[in-house]
Amino acid sequence: MPVMQSEEGVNGMLGKILLVDIDKCVGCYACEVACKQENQLSLPSRWCIVTRVGPRKIRDEMHLDFVPGLCLQCEDPTCSYFCSVDAIIKREDGIVAIDKEKCTGCGLCVYGCPYGAIYIDKERKTVGKCSLCISRIDHGLEPSCVQHCISGSLRFVTQEELAEITRGMHLAVRGSVCYTSSKWKLTL
Amino acid sequence: MAKRRSEKIQPMKVDERTGATVYKSECWNCNAGCDATVWVKDEKVIRIEGDPSSPVTKGTLCAKGLASKDILYHPERLKYPIKRVGGRGEGNWQRISWDEALDTIASRFTEIEQKYGNDSIACITGTSRGWVPIITRFANAWGKQWSGPGVAQCFAPRAISGFLTIGGLAIGCADYGSTQCMLVWGANPVTTWQWKGAAMMEAWGRGAKLIVIDPVISETASKAHIWLKLRPGTDAALALAMLNVVINEELYDKEFVDRWCLGFDKLKERVQEYAPEKAEGITWVPKAKIIEAARVYATTKPACITQEVAVDQNADTISTCRAIAMLAATTGNIDIPGGNVFPMPLPIRSAFEPEHALNDHLTKEQHERRLGSQEYPLLSGKFNFFPSAHNATLWKAILTSKPYPVRAIYNHGSNILLAFANTNIVRKALLSLDFFVVVDLFMTPTAEIADILLPAASWLERDMAHANLEVSYNTVHLQQKIVQIGECWSDYKILNEVAKRLGFGELMFNTEEDYCDFVLKPSGMNWQEFKKKGILTVPITYRRYERDGFDTPSGNVELYSLTLKDMGYDPLPSYREPTESPVSNPELAKEYPLILTTGAREPVFRHSEFRNIPVLRQIWPEPRVKINPMLADELDIKDGGAVIVETPRGSMEARAWLREDIDPRVIQVPTHWPGKSNANLLTDNESCALGIGGAQLRCQLCRVRRG
Repeated sequence: MPVMQSEEGVNGMLGKILLVDIDKCVGCYACEVACKQENQLSLPSRWCIVTRVGPRKIRDEMHLDFVPGLCLQCEDPTCSYFCSVDAIIKREDGIVAIDKEKCTGCGLCVYGCPYGAIYIDKERKTVGKCSLCISRIDHGLEPSCVQHCISGSLRFVTQEELAEITRGMHLAVRGSVCYTSSKWKLTL
Repeated sequence: MAKRRSEKIQPMKVDERTGATVYKSECWNCNAGCDATVWVKDEKVIRIEGDPSSPVTKGTLCAKGLASKDILYHPERLKYPIKRVGGRGEGNWQRISWDEALDTIASRFTEIEQKYGNDSIACITGTSRGWVPIITRFANAWGKQWSGPGVAQCFAPRAISGFLTIGGLAIGCADYGSTQCMLVWGANPVTTWQWKGAAMMEAWGRGAKLIVIDPVISETASKAHIWLKLRPGTDAALALAMLNVVINEELYDKEFVDRWCLGFDKLKERVQEYAPEKAEGITWVPKAKIIEAARVYATTKPACITQEVAVDQNADTISTCRAIAMLAATTGNIDIPGGNVFPMPLPIRSAFEPEHALNDHLTKEQHERRLGSQEYPLLSGKFNFFPSAHNATLWKAILTSKPYPVRAIYNHGSNILLAFANTNIVRKALLSLDFFVVVDLFMTPTAEIADILLPAASWLERDMAHANLEVSYNTVHLQQKIVQIGECWSDYKILNEVAKRLGFGELMFNTEEDYCDFVLKPSGMNWQEFKKKGILTVPITYRRYERDGFDTPSGNVELYSLTLKDMGYDPLPSYREPTESPVSNPELAKEYPLILTTGAREPVFRHSEFRNIPVLRQIWPEPRVKINPMLADELDIKDGGAVIVETPRGSMEARAWLREDIDPRVIQVPTHWPGKSNANLLTDNESCALGIGGAQLRCQLCRVRRG
């Protein structure tokens, strides 16, 4: 898989970008529960999942970090190649959406995603993943995880805002998601 | 079937996207009391979100608050009153009507009172959901002693020290908005206090310095510029050493100290006993770090302190809290923008007003007979807003009938068996009662041994106007009843109705609305008018002391306290070694060599609550004991493996969480888990903090082995 990194702007996408500042995330898990509620997820589905890294000692300093993980809305989504019914759509604004009408819930795309971001919902016989709260953003709102993020780690920003906010910071960009940190070098 | 009641409540809006009607309310899953929006469709709550219009939360809400719908509709909610049939704790219950429940409560309590005397009945309550003033009022009106929600080891030490030293609660109120430096002491607001965490992270994001004092790298400490890893229970020595640096290096605010601080020379003399190198030996914090932290805090202006419950649970909490308050006072950080501010006087009846809680309704003799009042006058006397019985003394009275028998308890919302130190003693005491009433949302371990169990309403099922410093420093928040679940009643209604049956209804309120009107009276609004308004805010003003002085006996900051001196305590702060430590009790330490610290909270739970909420339990599935890998290696303990922790009181079981951040001489045990994982099976309640009687939950001795 090619790693697509860019210092300025993101791949000519029209929509806003989900910015994940891992220096700020405090591991409060509000995003996880907000996501579950907004998307009415079954228990096993964790479209947004916070990973604790550490505490670990690096050069005599103790570090503890938290990394929220979710679908990156890839430019050329690998998962879509695994879908035999063309239910995975790349929208103009960059969002990778799943057409619930078409999806049969076969689950092949779950294996096609290199990031483990897709979950099968056995009850509803469909797959699901973060689509940046499409229905909220289509109504001019922020994704629910962004509204409820207490630390300002998750933000939903324009390309211009992204460039401004992350100036001088390490970036790792893919699709419509940008991870950033001043502390750690990042790759996706 | 849940139904919205017929009385009209005013929605904020109808949401086009979801078709839901959105109401404003206030989440009380914990006492942070965050503004929330409640989304209702087809008479059912479909979601709870933060309230973007809130000046306090700015639209955020924590994991616990966001799970409110799951709590509201949980299939195991208690939905109607039940009574025990068969043996206590056998789990056989029978549904009864509210009338039967209230009649039984009234007749049993009356019987016991006639047989054993007025003092044979006590009231206990859980951590505040806004009901502390009204349950105190209930107990006082009834003429019974009240044991607060563990106030001796939570809040009262901070509050009373604050009043004795700076005349108020400023150390609980950091003004994050314009601060340049945050000193966080024994607290982890980013996961436990959502709106404070959000304000802190905003300040952090614009470059404010963060100093965190914690024996492990908490979520808050993970963002710290300076992290001081202290030996649990040695906070006072650390604070005094920081004062030593501030004073000896002349980093204090001379003008403020000269004008407002009494006893500075005596304090200066006292802190000479706590040079940083000496404190290093006590606290295990390197001397250089103590000096660095003191310098950064004292020279970065303005600076604020956030100090919470951990500091309330050591051997001399009054000294500790006073020393910390003195750091803020001597550096001139009290009641200034970006420092520590006093909560604003609000146009509603404060919980601390005598006519609210009716503290004066008890006779002098009744106050004196309160259990623990002789040993712990600060807890039981006039310095506590809600004078409280000492809980360990209460268990003893139940078990020995000395100094008098206590045979019945009315317990409003406390999971006593998990929440109080030394569970084995507490269980024995509760099981020996003649009558035990519990009010709760769920069948908790404590509820299991009740005689009568009353179903309480959650915050989505009750009306209230709330204001206190935990919720914000300057706003009154609206909580409104959205739905009715089963036959659940609000706390206010339960207390009013029990009071009516017991014959003192006239001292309580006829309806919940009457109580809301009473609370709101100074605002000139009644409940219906406040509901339309939705929130009440007053501007924050600073340096009120310049006009009014400080609210201490002398009107000044009292570094040297004549009040404490008169009571026979040290008028200056000092360090007292924990009763159980390798230093104070080397004999015991041979058998129990490790320092046990309990009480650190997990991000998705609130004390003993919410472990039955799947969406939260999934995130934090089991209790984990923090152990250093070096120690684990010695003891053949593996990460994630079962461990048994033991003290002279008992043992508990959990999983090991090997973490390099914790000192190999310390283990940290999570609290409030039920069954064999209950940390309070380990804790001592005999050796309590001076004057105030808090259990030393943060600093005892233990040993650990592979399970």
